[in-house]
Order: sequence, then C-alpha cells, then structure tokens
Amino acid sequence: MAFIGLDESPARGGEKSRDFLRFSYVTALRPIAASVPVCRMKKSVGCVPWRGCKRIAWAGLLALAWGLGVSPMRAQLLAPGPDAARAVAAPAPVAQAIPLTAAEAEAALPSERAVVQILTSSQEPVYDAPWRFESVRRSTGTGFVIEGGRILTNAHVVAWAKQILVRRYQDPRLLPARVVFVGHDCDLALLQLEDPQGLADVTPLVLGELPPVRSTVVTAGYPAGGEQMSFTRGVVSRIEVQTYAHPGNRALLAVQTDAAINPGNSGGPVLQNDKVVGVAFQGIPGLQNAGFFIPPEIVRHFLRDVEDGRYDGFPLAGVTLEPLQNPAYRRHLGLPDDGRGARVDFLRADGSAIKVLRPDDVLLEADGLEVGSDGMVPYRGNRVTAGIAFQRPQSGESLRVKIWRDGAPLELDLPVTAYTGDRLAGRQYDAPPRYYIHAGLVFTPLSANYLDTVGRLGRDPAWEGFAKLLYELYHRPAENFASARAEPVVLAGVLPHPVNADLGVRGRVLVNRINGVRIERLEDVKRAFADNPNARHLLEFEGPEEGPLEAIDRAAASAAHADILRTYGIVSDQRL
Amino acid sequence: MNLALFFSPRASHRLGAFFALIGGAGLWLVLAAVASPARAAEPDWSRSLVSVEVTFKQADAFQPWNEPTRAIRKHGLVISASEVLTTAQYLPTHTLVRLQKGGRGRWFDARVKWWDAQSNLALITTDAPAFWAGQQAAELMETVPPGPEFGLLRWRDGNLENRRVEFSKFTVSDGVLGFAPHLLLEVGTDLGGLGWSEVVVRDGRVAGMTSYGTPRTCGVLPASFIRRVLAAYRAGNYAGLGYFDFTWQPGSNPELLAELGLKGEPRGAVVQHAGKESDPAKAPQARDILLEIDGFAIDVEGDYRDPDYGYLQLENLPGRARFAGEIIPIKLWRAGAEVTIPYTIPTAKFEDMLVPAEVFGAPPAYVVAGGLVFQPLTQPFLRGWGEEWRKFSPFRLQYFQYQDAADDRPSLVVMTGVLPDPINLGYQNDAMLVIDRVNGRRISTLAELVEALRAPSDGGVHRFEFMPGLSRQRLLLDAPGLDAATKRVVEHYGIPAATRF
Repeated sequence: MAFIGLDESPARGGEKSRDFLRFSYVTALRPIAASVPVCRMKKSVGCVPWRGCKRIAWAGLLALAWGLGVSPMRAQLLAPGPDAARAVAAPAPVAQAIPLTAAEAEAALPSERAVVQILTSSQEPVYDAPWRFESVRRSTGTGFVIEGGRILTNAHVVAWAKQILVRRYQDPRLLPARVVFVGHDCDLALLQLEDPQGLADVTPLVLGELPPVRSTVVTAGYPAGGEQMSFTRGVVSRIEVQTYAHPGNRALLAVQTDAAINPGNSGGPVLQNDKVVGVAFQGIPGLQNAGFFIPPEIVRHFLRDVEDGRYDGFPLAGVTLEPLQNPAYRRHLGLPDDGRGARVDFLRADGSAIKVLRPDDVLLEADGLEVGSDGMVPYRGNRVTAGIAFQRPQSGESLRVKIWRDGAPLELDLPVTAYTGDRLAGRQYDAPPRYYIHAGLVFTPLSANYLDTVGRLGRDPAWEGFAKLLYELYHRPAENFASARAEPVVLAGVLPHPVNADLGVRGRVLVNRINGVRIERLEDVKRAFADNPNARHLLEFEGPEEGPLEAIDRAAASAAHADILRTYGIVSDQRL
Repeated sequence: MNLALFFSPRASHRLGAFFALIGGAGLWLVLAAVASPARAAEPDWSRSLVSVEVTFKQADAFQPWNEPTRAIRKHGLVISASEVLTTAQYLPTHTLVRLQKGGRGRWFDARVKWWDAQSNLALITTDAPAFWAGQQAAELMETVPPGPEFGLLRWRDGNLENRRVEFSKFTVSDGVLGFAPHLLLEVGTDLGGLGWSEVVVRDGRVAGMTSYGTPRTCGVLPASFIRRVLAAYRAGNYAGLGYFDFTWQPGSNPELLAELGLKGEPRGAVVQHAGKESDPAKAPQARDILLEIDGFAIDVEGDYRDPDYGYLQLENLPGRARFAGEIIPIKLWRAGAEVTIPYTIPTAKFEDMLVPAEVFGAPPAYVVAGGLVFQPLTQPFLRGWGEEWRKFSPFRLQYFQYQDAADDRPSLVVMTGVLPDPINLGYQNDAMLVIDRVNGRRISTLAELVEALRAPSDGGVHRFEFMPGLSRQRLLLDAPGLDAATKRVVEHYGIPAATRF
C-alpha cells in the first residue's frame, strides 16, 4: 500500500523566521501538538491501521477490475492474506539519498527557484458525526511553478485545506494561495497565489516526456529531515499502472524510482534534463528505495482537462479484460495463437463500454496500441496494462478500438466518460459529508470515509455488521447492480434522548426502509419522515430482507428534535 | 465436611434414578455407597478422571488430498463400568484414541462409542479390563446449583490438580462444534490452558466438563445438560439438538411493540426473519411477537425464567427439555391477537447452511479437473487461513456465511486454485472463484460439477462460469484433452485420486 509523501512533522526551529512560524502554528493550533501520532497517520496512508489499508487494497482491486483492464494484482490479492496484510502494515523505510555531485547541484540551480514549499492547514470532517470537524492539522508538501504562474502539486497536499501558504526558495515571505483546480482521481492540483505577482520573476518549469527505464532522474522538494530544499538522484526502476493511494480506487500510470521520495516531497518535480518528467507522490511501505511519481502523460491529461475551466476527471470505461492465453479459449473464439488480443470478461452495468462491447469480444487494438494476449500494450518501451488506452482520451471523447467478434475483426468507436458511480467507494475530499438528523437519529451516506470511522473504533474487520457494510459498498454494485442503491445510507449513530433511548439499534447499520420507503439516497430519509401520516415512524435496517426493526413516536420525535440539536450543539439538522 | 449439607433425600432419589439410567455392574456398589444418606468422603477423583489421547486428521485447505495428522491430550471421566465421557472435539477425524488412568503409566487402546457434534459429547470405551480395574464411576449432578465456587480437576505432570474456579453465570451459547444453542456454565479463573475436557466438581459430584477456555473464563457443559443428552442416547431416541431457525430481537422498544399492535404491558420478543417453514400456522413469521414458548413467558429482553437456572435467553428452550423434531408450543402476538402454534424444532444440521460450519463424516472433498481444483465452500476450508481466518481469508468467500441457502443453490463450489498444466495455460493465477455454471448447468455440489463435465458445451470446450463480481467471469478448457490432462496433473503433483467426494 502506498504512502503519501506529505510531511506533517512538528514545526522545526532554527532561523528566526522559522521560530515565528512554529510559534504561530503551535499557539494557534494547540491541539496539533497533542495529536502528533494522529497527524502521522494522516501523512502516510500506508501507516493507517491495516484495516484501512486493506480497504484501499480492495478499492484498488475494484479500480483494476472495473475499469482498467487486466488485473495482475488479482492473484496477489486473492492469495492467502496474511503475507499481504503484513506487507501493508510494515513501516515505511527511509531510502538512502544519493548526494548530488557539485556539477549536478550547479545544473539544478535553475529549477530551485521554481520549486516551492506548500504549508497547508487542513481540517477534515468527522464522518460518523458529520456536522463536526477534526482539529486543524498542519502539513507541508512541495509544488512547482508551471506556465501561467500556476503551481502544480499533489491533490493530497492541499486536500481539506483551510489555508494554503507558499514559501519560495530562500524567500522569507509566506504567500497565500488557493486551489484553482483539483483532480483527486489523479492526485494533482493547480494552485494560484492570491497575489499573482508573487511568482512573476520565476521561470516556470517545462514538462518533458516519460523518462525511459534505467535513466537517471532528480527529485526536488522539501522532505522531512531539514529545512532547505533537498535534491535526490535515482534511476527510473519501472513504469506500470499503480493504484493511486489518494483516491484509493483509481489506478493510473505511475513511475517507480529509487530516488528518495519521503514525506514532504509530495508534489515536487522529478527532473531530467531540466524538464519535469514527473510529480513525486507516494511510496510503498516495506519496499526499500521505491518511490513513485506521476508521469507527464497524467499531468498533461489533467492540464488539458481543466482548459475548459472545469475538471471532469479521467475516464473509466467499466470494462474488465482478462488475458487470452489459453489455447482452447483462443481456438473457441477462432483466433490463432499469435499472442494478440485480450478478452472482454466483464462489463459494468453503468459503464460506457457496455454500450459498445460484449463479453468475449477480444480487444486487439485500443487507441492505436496493440493489445497482447497478456492484456498488456507496448508503451514507450514498456508493457503496461491495456487499461491505459481507455484513460488517454478526455471525458466525453472516444477512442478507436479494434476487436474480434464472432470470428471477424471489427473497428468501433468507444466513447468514454469520467465515472462517478463509485465515488462513495473511493476516498472523498473537500466536500463535507451529507447528513440528515431526525429525533437524534443521524443518517449519512455509506462511504469509504465513513467506514474508516468503524476501523478507528478498533472493530474487527470480520465483525458481521462491518462485513455487511463492506459488502454493500464494494461488492453489491458489481454483483447485482439492480439491487444496489445509488447512495446507501447508514444510521451513523443516535444522539441519546428520552425519545430514542429505547431503540436497540444504535448505529453503524444500513438503513433499508423508513415508513415503507426504500432508502436509495439520503434525500429519501428526509422524505420518508416528512411524508409519514402514521402515529409512529417505522425504521427497518439491513435488508434486503427483514432485518432489525425500530419504531419511534412521530409526534414526540418532532417535539424533541430541536431540543436534541440544542443539547448536542448542532447548528443544522441537515447537509443535503 | 458436613455431609448433611450436601445430601438430601431428594438428591438421593435422583441419584437412584441416574443409576437405573446408566446401568452397570459392580461399580454400582461403589456408587450406591456414595449415594447413601450417610454420605461417604469426597470421591477419589483420581479413580474417575482419566487422560484421553487423540490422534486425528487435519484438513489441508489448499491441498485437500493431504491430511496430516496431529495428536492432542485431553481429559475423560469414567461414568459407567465401560464408558468414559469426554467432549467430541478432535474425535470426528480420529485415527487413534488411547486412554490412561491415574495420570501416568500405560496407555490403553480405545475406541469411540458415540460422539455428537451439536452437544459436543462423546463416549469412549476400551476392551482392556486392566483399564477399568480400580476405576470409579463419577456422579453427574442432576441440577447444577449456582454458587460461589467449584473445583476444577485436571491431570498435570502425572498429578491430580484440584483448583478453585469461581461461578460466573449460566448462559446460553452455541456449541464449540455445533450451532445449536444450549445451556453453559461459565466460570472465572486465572488458570491457563483450560478447555481440554477438565472436570468441574462440587460437593463430591460432577458439575460439568469444560469445552473451551479463555484467559479469564472457561465454558463448562453443565452436568444436567450432559445427563439429558446421554439419557436420550441410551434410550435410543436421541434425535439431536434443535434450534430456532427464525431470528428475533428484544422487544425492549415499547414503541415498536405498540406499532405491532401489542395490547397490554410490553412483553415478548419480536421476530425479525422467519425460518424455513413459511406456513404461519406452523412457525413464527416476521413481525410476530413471541409471548410464550413451551409454557415460559418471554420478557422484552428475549429471556425466560428457568426454574433451575434463573433468567436465560429463549434460545435455550428448544434444548431445555426437548430435542429436534419435537413440537414445542409457541404463543405469539399476531395481527392483534394471541395465537398459539405448534412449532416443530428443526434439527441442527450443518448441511442446511450455505457455508457449513463443519463437515464431519467424510474427508475433505475435492475434484481436480484439468488442473483446476474445486472444493465445497465450507468454514473448515476458510479456517485454512489460520487462527485469524476471519481477518485474512477472502472477504467475498467469507461473506457467503451471512447469506441463506436457496432451494436452487443449497451449497457452493469454489475453484480454489490451479495446478499448472498445458491445458490450463493462462489460468495459473486464478483462484478462489465461486462456480456458477459449468457447461450451462447450475452447480451447487461437486457431484453436479462432475456430471456437468460429462457433457461439454458446443465447440469441444468445457465452459466454466463464475459468480458475478470482481473476479474472472468465465474460462474455457479443452474438452477432448481433459481426461488425459487430469491424469497427467494427478501424477505430476502426487495426488492420490482426481476426485473425492
């Protein structure tokens, strides 16, 4: 599992300006100092308890299985679990930086001025008490100036930001900035200084091309361990599709390097011949000297996407490819054993590909890339999963596919769009959770973020209630789309009051029906309560068949509602 | 000890009935002396408590044709001239059972006379007269009184250890090997390593036998429960333990009871989900309120007041005085009125579960076809992931445990792995896929799988389709070459036979 290279170390002293910085943060945000261990968890996704990691792994599997084609991870994930889980739980090693030579340092100088440190104060919501927010947290990351006076960094560097400050190279000023565009699916964000003149004298860095494997790259950033900008050198180890830890359920092209990418490096440029060939973003605990950066293809896709003033996201076609290496299967489909073509195994019911492709179609070529029987395509000297072909167009565009169907080749245009149907199954950012409270019953959508709160309670992942929520969120949509709810809703908790004190169900359970209305989304909860003419509200949980039942007096519930909100200091009973 | 404190005429009468029940020969002289009002001294437990050594086969979840053996030692209790009582754990797959008396010395070859998973009880005997010489049948309490302390007997390094354990509570719990709920005595103790059929005693009589231990507590099968099961077994009418196959919840929310139309004081428990019997005249249905079972009033906690053991969960009632197959009257609140129905207590059978919690009576089943390995989805298979199998076994496979068996899919078959061979090239990484259909036929059992493989689909291939989800949906195998490939795989990987089910 990947960690995110974001430094949330306590403020470090040294120069006077740093002392001031530390003072201002520590005094203003006193709880931070007391919650350093929590902060460390946040900085490194890989350091969260394994339950969370496992969920991300599942989400990653979903990403591969649902939209990105052949899934080499599958066997690994389905193999006996203990080893996998231990690997996830292992602490992140600190890679050994290779000092730059004097010549390299000299060569790197032009880059230094374009690389900035980003100081973020962020505040995340509490998903099982969705009207509340956690303590403010401080973190640092890296960014770099690109054309247009904009700063490119990772989305996770600025997620949930309440304040973003930019510190330029050897400049004492703290420059306020804001997010202009953010792509959480690709973990990229564009920032702009509140005062655009603040970067007027900076020469922007230029995007290069995907660096070849074995070529040397240099990372620049502000990782933990010091105050000054740090450069490390390494080689490109391999280029593959990887799960992006920030969304958790998206897998895109990524480059692995042995250049040290540590907390604080996030968002920093990876350079080769004075050009940016990547954005440092994550690592994998347990793997030594392995950091990952986002390649230029992904960055360019993101930048092109926002040209129209809106970020749509990477497309997801909803097709799962399987290798087609078995001779009998190839014969059955009328294909020679020539190593070409991967088989369409599964099409997501709400994906775009299902309108064009059929199970057992054989994908021979996608977006001009020849698909091998292993489900991979040759890509700039590498072999990567054919799924990348589906990610290259912008949302709303089409790609040309050549398939083998019914014993003959066929060329088709396959429209692809950004997919949001699995939004709840991935990690969400920046938008506080929706909720609705009635008579002290707190309802909120079931989401990956919400499930994290269950993990924080130390619940065993095998706990039946937790398993049912996992199934509802991750498995039901793929197995039985017709029975899946657009936005499963959970009773997150009950704010104790005499009107609800007798309820045996106290939360962390899926809401099936309220007053006979099947709850498809949060708005249904509000409507079901409002439209009920009976003396009591009847609530049914779990399902789809009969599960726990509860009832509450309708008049007493309405009468107690305001008192409950007042007692628990809740300003609004809903965020819909 | 003051014998008058421990024996009453009533107890003596009960013991007499017990003796008549279990029958026997010369040992009764000893027991009769114990039962006399004149009260003998504390029994010499070393003449009743014996050691049991069990060598048994273990399952290898990932290579079901392998069955490594393991041996354990636990305790047994002489309860008649030719019977040793112990728990059923480890006995279902035993290859060798031996008995030792006095905590040391010779081991005697023994045989299992009877065992029952749901009650977790077994009787062992040996044909060696030397074993029985000097042994003394222990007396099982008819009713186990709650009290502050019990003694716990076990053999430790050849010495009989008698340690105090504290009474905690009577409770109702699923068995260690089965899922039929029954009465359990829970005792608190700091002793470690318990749960090996140690014997719990008080006042010179046996109060129960341990079935599990945790660091702070120990579960004890009460003597009264053991007596009842053994009596039925000996009478030849033990039909097994039963259970309620409907689910219920406490009726502790008065608003819910009112919503369901109950009149009068809040009482009873609410049925959530009906069992297999869909006839409302014969079984509780969803939203019924359970008011009375077998004459015992049910309170809003779902408890009844047991005359011997105080408040116990209603789940004890199918086994309190009845066995599977018997009819138990249940008074319900249904549609605004009380109604009493005759509910036939279902037999607790593992094979009724979509994912059986245990599979006894047969070695692990499997089919190897062209290198693809198929096994029934069972909990023993999932336990192959080790002690923390609930954490580490594949989530989706585990989740089938929470789903009900359907008439058209009473059980599941999993392709658990692939033994690489040219015929399955390209599938070598596939594993843990639940079969939906083979050659168009719906598959629930290995027998159906084998049958389906006799009729390849068109085009000379076998078509395997898996349950919809996150994994591979289908694969094809060359049909004409399947038998030869299976033979090749079996030889190559040292598998004794291609199928066993």
